[in-house]
Amino acid sequence: MRSASTSLPALPVVRRALRDFAVGAVCALAIATAAFVGVRNRELAAKQLALAERAAEAAARHHGDVPGAHAVLVGPPQPSAKYPVLRHRSVLEPGGWRVLAGARDDKLRFDAANRFDRDGSFAELLPDSRAVAAAPARGTVAVAITEPAELAPFPWLVVIGVLGLGAAVAAAGALAGTRSRVLGALAGLAALAVPPMLWGSWIAGSAILGIAGAVAAAQRAELTDRLALGMRRHRTALGFLAPAAIAMLVLVAVPFLIGIAIGFYDYHSGHWTFVGFHNFAELLSGGGHSLDDPLNFWFILGVTVVWTVVNIALHVTIGVSLALVLSRKWLRGRRVFRMLLILPWAIPNYITALMWHGMFQGEYGAINQILHKFGISDVSWFTTWAKAFAADVTTNTWLGFPFMMVVALGALETIPRELYEAASVDGASAWQRFRHITLPHLRPALGPAVALGSIWTFNMFNVIYLVSAGKPGDSTNILVTDAYRWAFERGDRYGMAAAEAALIFLVLMLWTVFGTRLVRRKEAA
Amino acid sequence: MTQRPRLVARVAVHLGLVAVVALVLYPVLLVCKKAFEPGRAFALSASPLPDHVTLDHFGDLFGSTFLRHTFNSVVVALATTVVGVLLSCTAAYALSRFRFPGRGASLSTFLVVQMFPATLLLIPLYVVLDHLHLLNSIVGLVLVYSTTAIPFCVWTLKGYFDTLPRELEEAARIDGASPWLIFRRIILPLARPGIAVTALFSFMTAWNEFIMAFQFMTSESQFTLPVLIQSSATEHTADYGLFAAGAIVTSLPVMIAFYALQRYLVGGLTAGAVKG
Repeated sequence: MRSASTSLPALPVVRRALRDFAVGAVCALAIATAAFVGVRNRELAAKQLALAERAAEAAARHHGDVPGAHAVLVGPPQPSAKYPVLRHRSVLEPGGWRVLAGARDDKLRFDAANRFDRDGSFAELLPDSRAVAAAPARGTVAVAITEPAELAPFPWLVVIGVLGLGAAVAAAGALAGTRSRVLGALAGLAALAVPPMLWGSWIAGSAILGIAGAVAAAQRAELTDRLALGMRRHRTALGFLAPAAIAMLVLVAVPFLIGIAIGFYDYHSGHWTFVGFHNFAELLSGGGHSLDDPLNFWFILGVTVVWTVVNIALHVTIGVSLALVLSRKWLRGRRVFRMLLILPWAIPNYITALMWHGMFQGEYGAINQILHKFGISDVSWFTTWAKAFAADVTTNTWLGFPFMMVVALGALETIPRELYEAASVDGASAWQRFRHITLPHLRPALGPAVALGSIWTFNMFNVIYLVSAGKPGDSTNILVTDAYRWAFERGDRYGMAAAEAALIFLVLMLWTVFGTRLVRRKEAA
Repeated sequence: MTQRPRLVARVAVHLGLVAVVALVLYPVLLVCKKAFEPGRAFALSASPLPDHVTLDHFGDLFGSTFLRHTFNSVVVALATTVVGVLLSCTAAYALSRFRFPGRGASLSTFLVVQMFPATLLLIPLYVVLDHLHLLNSIVGLVLVYSTTAIPFCVWTLKGYFDTLPRELEEAARIDGASPWLIFRRIILPLARPGIAVTALFSFMTAWNEFIMAFQFMTSESQFTLPVLIQSSATEHTADYGLFAAGAIVTSLPVMIAFYALQRYLVGGLTAGAVKG
């Protein structure tokens, strides 16, 4: 330990202690702020709802308005004079009964009374922090609406005070000696956990204590000093990297973590409930559907794997065959052929998918018109799994083979002609030349292309969603389209969708790691 | 390989290729036919040539709100490109020239994020943007597209910087130029072609993106072109004439760009995978 510290720059020990404290304090502050806002909103919601309920009950007993809220009596629904289907409600105002129409908050009162009649109770917080509640009042409904809540100000003084105290403790510890430096860091950062604990947020408090422990442990192992040294030594590179790195942190890492977190929650009409591994368990257990049911996760995974394998096999076979033909020097119009053959790649894939969807559709679709000439009539493409899947595969093969073709063409161009000439002289057959010269040269280029292509195909949302749309009966869904349906077409089941997305990520990660191993082993062999 | 096959074989290969090209062209020709043929149904005959020619669909297209959606698409794609290139060019330079701890990890992170589809982030992004009231907003869509544009730009630009000679930089460093000055005065001017190609690709990607726009832009005035085209082809009142005209007008510019740039595309796409 001594020897390591001699190589460190002779920064004053207090400055180093304060630096470590500052890093920990920034994280702690972020957590504390989130905890404060969370606790404040929760308390505010409870307070506003209680106030609205109190006001509604007071109005029901004709006690007049409670401060901070305004309550009215809403009459029972009456058929409208002009349109008997419509129901009106009236509201009792100082001047007498008035029909609820377009005046301020009329709709709120109308809906509140309706939902009270339906459910027997009603209390809700509005997005603008007002609360609405209803109470029974002898044949009418008392509806109270509170004023918007006043937000408690952020306790800057408390935070600054605790920060100052913590910094002082950390600095004092550093001055007192090596061992107390670690203790100072621990105690100084732990001080920041006090305010969240006072607000009643134990999770935030423990998280901050955890940070304090981590910083102290890192300091003990001299990790903080080494990290700071590394950052100073590479500050140019890190500075150049920073804009993209920070953007990725905010735009990708944070949403990714939120996505994982959502996977542990259930969402129902505006409320999130923590359900632990329930979503994952429901997916992985098949959710009560048998294995051949299109709603079973394993069925969908199977379809996705078959979809990927079939497509990649077709892309590679067609692409490599065409590349072999196009690489012949005696071929006339090679450039024109190549240009025309990559056309599908140039077209945006949602247009391709919509185009093929139209061609497969109905008895007058172009495909059926052609089949009709061969004596096959009126194929309904989206009524059985095999036909719908075939339609999807056709579309995706059409749009996917040019990529493999271009990659293979590029690889073929790098093969020296002398190799073939030498092989011919030695009497190698065409197949032997292909097997021992062409294939080994294609593999290094096709390997990554297949890896990339398989990930694209595995998640080829547009083709599945726009061509077969999962028909018949969700059976041609792949994992991404199924996750999408959970989120947006099966009643906002964001939790299930996020859990499925996490599983997709896991599968792709495994495939990437496992797949690269496979390629490397083949290269080594 | 070395000797030419017999004439019959050569003719057969040419004919086979023509047949494949016909298969490739047929759907495209059908769309072109539909764009110039009266009527809303997709195809009443399998022939790729129209019986009557009309420009009505294009008239309808430009008479509708098409220009507004074009404006949306242009703004979103341009903003995504600017954000992507601006934020990533320094990082690409750092990854190309400097050796620092965490370089390998950053490279693979950018690669994985670029390879893995942004669809996996659809749900959290939707929830977050909803919370921030950024659904139905161009700003929100640009942020969403940046999640793929930034790693793409980092990898492509890094590949380009790798091809630039280092002698100029070394000379400038000996003369006492700071890294920032070297980057701004030497590298950026040299890398202009690479930046242009990267920018065009990231513009095309944003221009062609469908599912995110479809999910995040729900009010019709905010539709980008892919959402507009999808809605003209799949709603119950599908108008394939309008779809075909819209598809042609929308994809023609990116197709021209694609043909101009395709030789860079293959290199850029696989370079990352080969090195990673």
